[in-house]
Amino acid sequence: MFLHIERGSSVPISRQITEQLRAQCLAGALRPGDKLPSVRELAQQLAVNVNTVFRVYERLAAEKLIELRHGDGTYVCQPQQEAQSQLATQREKYFREFDAVIQQGVLLGLTAADLRSRLTAVLSKRT
Amino acid sequence: MSESAVSVQHLSKTFGTHAVLQDVSFEVPAGQTFALLGRNGAGKTTTIRALLGLLPPDGGQIRIAGCDPARDPLELRRRVGYLAEDQSMYGWMTPVELCRFLAPFYPRWNAALANQYLDRFELPRQVRIERLSKGQSVKLGLAVALAHEPQVAILDDPALGLDPISRKEFYRDLVEHLQAEGRTVIYSSHLLAEVEAVADAVAILDRGRIVRHGATEVLRSEVQRLILPVAVARRRSPPTGLLDVRRQGDQLEIVIDGMEPFIDELTAAGLSPQPSTMTLDDIFEAFVIGRPQDWPTDESPSGASVVA
Repeated sequence: MFLHIERGSSVPISRQITEQLRAQCLAGALRPGDKLPSVRELAQQLAVNVNTVFRVYERLAAEKLIELRHGDGTYVCQPQQEAQSQLATQREKYFREFDAVIQQGVLLGLTAADLRSRLTAVLSKRT
Repeated sequence: MSESAVSVQHLSKTFGTHAVLQDVSFEVPAGQTFALLGRNGAGKTTTIRALLGLLPPDGGQIRIAGCDPARDPLELRRRVGYLAEDQSMYGWMTPVELCRFLAPFYPRWNAALANQYLDRFELPRQVRIERLSKGQSVKLGLAVALAHEPQVAILDDPALGLDPISRKEFYRDLVEHLQAEGRTVIYSSHLLAEVEAVADAVAILDRGRIVRHGATEVLRSEVQRLILPVAVARRRSPPTGLLDVRRQGDQLEIVIDGMEPFIDELTAAGLSPQPSTMTLDDIFEAFVIGRPQDWPTDESPSGASVVA
């Protein structure tokens, strides 16, 4: 699990954590049955308010993406039916942002070749 | 939530003819972290000194960890830990000597815990305090403020003067050693990007008054920014909760506390307004130096476009 929190962003911290965890659950980067760090551990790791992390976990539990097992820990759930449509929605949103970024690049005078080589470079760094 | 760990009602204080605190009221539920935000001279330190009983207020009531600072100053010191802004510790002592020196003042001083903090904060034990770095002395201050296991910790601008890495470490310690143990924390700061990650609730102090007080997340969802054409604004009266107006060409950028009614109004008029969330920095600025009086009126010359 990898979370990146941007401090001083106009996106509230709780939303940043929620969206990243949700995306990782939906996309399968976090697999059903995976154990998440405890609220305290994650709060310390991110240096974020314990109550904020707790609320994020509660929200994701209400969405049935994770499960808070009392006295045991927090686990990723088997994705529900509606999770698939959520994933589709998130991907749609991502593509809209992607399109906008490409448009910006074109306005900055980047060519199709520039953009393609950038994409290849970014993808190859991940593997 | 259980009883408030800290309750401040109608606090006021005047130095000479200058009102430094006016009708300051807030409550901090047990276990929460509360940040006082304000520019230099807004009244943060005065509020904190009044909380600790170091400064008698002219009016108002304070309860902190079940104590009245004016009546139970000793019991208050046992239940409250304090890290001062300009903490001056005995420079010729070593951290270990300082702990030994302070212990007898506190019936609940936990020497083992003090030791643990020195370890966890990686503080050199046998180096004179005057030779510690700024970051180390803040950590030492925190260690001795917490070693008597206070219910409430009050930290006056703890991150002031720390470099970015030490600041981050400091906040991690705060989360780990205070929040995770259920203690109530009040701290003051003007580094807002960091406050957001750590504080449950914030109060914005401006010239001795609290201009806004609320849960950090609620504040961020209620105070938003909107861009709209000047022509649309001119036909309307300024919305309730308007905090700031900036004009850029024929567009207005406005900040509203409680955006929803105005959005409903614009939507009903057939517009599709797109409000956006703001950083805590921008929210703070809107409250403290916002210019709601700059809302355009019909009388303003329509042809002249003032570029901000």
